[in-house]
Amino acid sequence: MLRDVANWIERLLGLDPATFAYSWITSVVVIGVMALVAFVFIAFFAGPVTWWERRLAGRIQSRIGPNRVGPQGVLQWLADGIKCFLKEDLIPAQADKGLYMFAPYLVFGGYMATFAVLPFGANLIAADLDVGLLYLLAITGLVVIGSLMAGWSSNNKWALFGGIRSAAQLVSYEIPSAFSLMSVVLAAGTMSMQGIIRQQGAWPWDWFVFRNPFLFLAFFLSLTSSIAEGNRTPFDLPEGESELVAGYHVEYSGMRFLWFMFAEWGNLWVIASIATVCFLGGWQIPGMSPAEIAASTGLAFWGWQALTLGVFVAKASVLVAFVIQVRWTLPRLRVDQLMITCWKYLVPGALFCLAGVLVLLAVVPENGIADWALRGVSLAAGLAIAVAYVWKTRAAYMADRDLYRRMEGKELWYPPFRLP
Amino acid sequence: MTDPVVSAMVFYALATFTLVAAGFVALSNNIVHSAFALFATLFGMAGLYAFLSADLLAIVQMLVYVGGISVLVLFAVMLTSGLDDSRHSNSTTRLAGGIAVLLAVAAAAFVAASAVPSGTESAITPMTALIGDALLGRFVLPFEVVSVVLLAALLGGVTLARGVKGGDR
Amino acid sequence: MVSAFPPPVGDPTSGRGSGGLPGWLGNVRKAASSVFEGLAVTMSWMFRRPMTVQYPDKIARPVQEVLPDAYRGILELDVRLCTGCLLCEKTCPIQCIDIAVEKNAAGGRDITKFDIDISKCMYCGLCQESCSFGALRHSGEFEASQSDRANLVLHFVTQPQPIARYKAGEAPPRRPRGSILKDVIVGYGTRAGKVKGAPTPPPPAWDKPAPAPKPEPEPVALPQAPAPAPAPAPAPAPAPAPATPPKEETP
Ligand code: SF4
Ligand code: SF4
Repeated sequence: MLRDVANWIERLLGLDPATFAYSWITSVVVIGVMALVAFVFIAFFAGPVTWWERRLAGRIQSRIGPNRVGPQGVLQWLADGIKCFLKEDLIPAQADKGLYMFAPYLVFGGYMATFAVLPFGANLIAADLDVGLLYLLAITGLVVIGSLMAGWSSNNKWALFGGIRSAAQLVSYEIPSAFSLMSVVLAAGTMSMQGIIRQQGAWPWDWFVFRNPFLFLAFFLSLTSSIAEGNRTPFDLPEGESELVAGYHVEYSGMRFLWFMFAEWGNLWVIASIATVCFLGGWQIPGMSPAEIAASTGLAFWGWQALTLGVFVAKASVLVAFVIQVRWTLPRLRVDQLMITCWKYLVPGALFCLAGVLVLLAVVPENGIADWALRGVSLAAGLAIAVAYVWKTRAAYMADRDLYRRMEGKELWYPPFRLP
Repeated sequence: MTDPVVSAMVFYALATFTLVAAGFVALSNNIVHSAFALFATLFGMAGLYAFLSADLLAIVQMLVYVGGISVLVLFAVMLTSGLDDSRHSNSTTRLAGGIAVLLAVAAAAFVAASAVPSGTESAITPMTALIGDALLGRFVLPFEVVSVVLLAALLGGVTLARGVKGGDR
Repeated sequence: MVSAFPPPVGDPTSGRGSGGLPGWLGNVRKAASSVFEGLAVTMSWMFRRPMTVQYPDKIARPVQEVLPDAYRGILELDVRLCTGCLLCEKTCPIQCIDIAVEKNAAGGRDITKFDIDISKCMYCGLCQESCSFGALRHSGEFEASQSDRANLVLHFVTQPQPIARYKAGEAPPRRPRGSILKDVIVGYGTRAGKVKGAPTPPPPAWDKPAPAPKPEPEPVALPQAPAPAPAPAPAPAPAPAPATPPKEETP
């Protein structure tokens, strides 16, 4: 992708990419531009998604949420960002100045680096590394170090505890996360992000979630552990405000605080897109194979890119909403519960899935009767869960509907699309 | 990166970064700074691997050393008792540091003086599958032996950490 | 260490006693089903009407009007009822009431100053209790924000005002609660969305069970008619000659 774009630019400038001596300059420029695009994407994703999260949280808590800045409050994030931007950048007198100032960039850089291998569409990926998934798991190391650095250099007990908890949590949850993603790697036979997507299809029964029951299970394990890796509730002990005030970024203010927030909400996208790539078929669109998309030219090519981008963003957004809903549903775990969840439940579960996938790969021939039976079973399980979910939701609503009408003299019905 | 000048530039930048960070590890007065510098050193190493187009190695370096070992080192440093003031916790290394620098310079001079066998640049090939095959094919016995050793170490660690039966958990 | 509460079987937090594989699976089942139920409940709230009252603009009536009578809002003084006894000033524990009474040319007495510093006031209600004439009382008004701190001192008397003399049953009728403050608070009504008040776009009528859009002349009539009432009382005051040297008087 990188070289493609660089070659394209060189050809645009009337140069021959094959003989152009200074092609590294174009490469560097393209890398710079891509980094900028990733940064702008994070900023323009992380910002509005804070607003979205607060609106969803509001409705879940029978509130409305921010609706004052701009139409329905959509510009709230800008107001918050400008507020943070104009705040004083406080550095505690006893802090380790250099590390304190550097830590937010390390955390943010760690998250931004993941965007190098996250696909957005059929050909929209900065670098389709051969070991993309492994890279994704490895790069979180930067975040661990960054939060430890922030926690230690603040010279504050709360911050230090937050940092240590964050690091311990990331290091432990990396294991179930890696194992459950490894079962996908086994099924796909590759670690490249685009390769994993190409191994799936556009229809749900071609997705890896519904390939077989073990992958179905691995999907939930992987989602749980990536939520934990992202320090989101119910695993947000590093910032448990009731005990640690704000965790490792307790001393930060102004722009440096904003970097942490960018990373935190940008990470929502990372969580959602890893799950989309590995389990939900990525950007695949029905009736159009990846090869056909790659073979198309000109405007059609870009049209397909836009369409795949749309599909990918739609799938990821649903997952983002789900992760947000989980955050506003579950209470925070205790430290020991956190570790027990990881080591006694997620790790054995992920290993079990891995083993199961291995056995099925060895035993069940692809596209045979047994393969389709397994797909059918998983799909049926998924559908059953969805139906039960709708039914349960309706039951919870109906339990209060009549009472509400009697007490308030109004209908309880107020769907999310009806804006207050 | 086919341009030799550019690749030389990248290489020297990465090498300088790694060496400076390594020097910092040895010479810093602050042991926590040393630990963070160790992280930077390992990160620079990963960069060098990536530069030499050993992508799997680079990423495993990131995963194991940057994400694992250096976090453990940091934990160990931070949980060490008796570190009253971390800012002056490593002040006895001055002489040792000097000797280390001397040795490093001498080694560098020696290496620079001798002829370095330089291989011809080969095309970048995806190595992940090759390494996997090698590990589980030709080198399967060493691989398994190492894993048994690691397992023994793990069990030993657990046994030591659990302490005496009936004592505090 | 003995715990007061023995962990129940299958408690995921207890290290032991979870009953081997069945206990483990039971914990997994419990966790999954409780997360599932929780998600269904929160999802159902996405379809329920929010409780929020969108103060100040999207409400049927100003909040001031629906507050209970006993609500202790910003103090207001009806000068026509005040006898200048200074009881309230003496009662106030933090001295935020400042009253000045002077002799006037006609031989009577004038109130020349009646200031209440609402930035100091803690709304304890002691002054209201001490006023035997019902001149000083809490209104339902609570929007006290100002851009200048000096505006938080409310001047209820701007021109010297002859002190009221009346017999027990002949007191002038009290003005409606809150109607005096409208003239005293600087910039009253220019804040929030309250001035537009009348149309009230989506009336959720949150404070009344029945819809009843038509028959509400009573709450509208009361507070919104300060203008025809004798509101601008200080205007036609006798205005005594400024020549007389003011003297402090302590009854
Ligand atoms: S309410 Fe209390 S504090 Fe306020 S003026 Fe009256 S007596 Fe003073
Ligand atoms: S407000 Fe009441 S208590 Fe205060 S001076 Fe007037 S009559 Fe007396």
